[in-house]
Amino acid sequence: MSPSLAPGDLLNRVERDVQRALQRSRNGLRYAAGTQRPKVGRTPKDVVWRRHKSELWRYRSDARRYRPPLVIVHSLVSRSYVLDLYPGNSAVEHFLREGLDVFLLDWGVPDETDAGNTLEYYVDDGIPEAVAAACETAGTDDVNLLGYCFGGVLSLLSAARHPEMPIRNLAAMATPVDFSQMETITALVRDGRLDPEDVIEPTGNVAPDVIENGFKLLKPTAEVTQYATLWENLWNDEFMEGYQAMGQWARDHIPFPGAAFEQTVAGLVRANGLVNGTFELGGERVDLKAITRPVLNIMAERDHIVPLAAAEPLVGLVGSKEKEELRLAAGHAGLVAGRKAAKVTLPGIAGWFKAHSSAIPSHADVRMCSDADS
Amino acid sequence: MSGKPLWRKAFDEVDKRVSGPVEAGAHSDLFNDLVTVQIKLARRAQREVEKRTRRVLHAVNLPTATDVRRLSEQVASLQRQLRDLEDQRRR
Repeated sequence: MSPSLAPGDLLNRVERDVQRALQRSRNGLRYAAGTQRPKVGRTPKDVVWRRHKSELWRYRSDARRYRPPLVIVHSLVSRSYVLDLYPGNSAVEHFLREGLDVFLLDWGVPDETDAGNTLEYYVDDGIPEAVAAACETAGTDDVNLLGYCFGGVLSLLSAARHPEMPIRNLAAMATPVDFSQMETITALVRDGRLDPEDVIEPTGNVAPDVIENGFKLLKPTAEVTQYATLWENLWNDEFMEGYQAMGQWARDHIPFPGAAFEQTVAGLVRANGLVNGTFELGGERVDLKAITRPVLNIMAERDHIVPLAAAEPLVGLVGSKEKEELRLAAGHAGLVAGRKAAKVTLPGIAGWFKAHSSAIPSHADVRMCSDADS
Repeated sequence: MSGKPLWRKAFDEVDKRVSGPVEAGAHSDLFNDLVTVQIKLARRAQREVEKRTRRVLHAVNLPTATDVRRLSEQVASLQRQLRDLEDQRRR
């Protein structure tokens, strides 16, 4: 039974409910009309390297306090703005505030021209060239590499195939290595029910709606739950900004290049090549034991896209002496966006990179040293 | 006392009971078979529609989706050659 309210409290409650009803109507109309789409990826940046559709961005900052720079490698199935949703909810912004020098490798949106892009295109050319460009731009000898989702797979493959690449530390975030633990579309092609040609469209790529539907099948009731949450919080402007930005990202998938998809299905999904050590690129076996740099495996405990069991084996597969795990009570996107990310995940990731980097002496420190010398 | 409204509490209760079985169903062999059949049928239907409309459209001298696709494939192939040239020049 609800406790009885004093007349003043009752009046306040009625006033609040009326106010919320008005805000709910206003936000509901805006949402339905689509007039207030959040502007995403707004942190100022410069393109420092470009190859075909791939671009390496360096985010502007006058508070860089650590070296080497952090190069984030994004996935091939989604847009990279999930890492920079909007001011106040941006992983990139957080890393910049922590004093890191942030670069982001964005692969662009593939079209028919990119249908023939193999994994070697990204692993042997894209990442090594972008890493070299980041070193040149930042004036450093090496970089810290952070791969997100399939970008983590690409980063691992690249680091394993190119041990000479100047990587000081490597982190893989929500990165699948044991593909036998993946569900739905991956399960359909793994079992042989579907072959790559069944989902590759005439453009030569896997259509974004196939990828989106695959993700939706993982949690079929999630969309209804999201609508309930939307109705409950429709009055809240701050919530609406986050909801719309995340909703936009979740529906904004990009085509997966057909040639890379065929290699992924054959070598990673069906043969489970990373775990079994059978995966080949360019005619050579890729051995993750060739990775000897410090490695951090960042996993989300409630990740339904890359389940814990699919990401967990990584530390046992790399050859690094120093390898750590960071398990966080978040979902796949919740690792990099949302309140929990800002409070728990991102500080944890930034902290690890800071602890494994060198602090750049500030102007004040330099001045104090030179005063002492004189 | 939780701040959730009554309707939301009721919704969560139903969701808790329904989502588990629905997810289990969506990951079952039967459902996977159905999805596979649906994807293959949709692909086959698309090909069949294209084949039938092709004759009609060509009869009135109009391009079909296949014609447009062939053209864009040729453009893509040209773009790839340009890309290769660009790469060679960079190296």
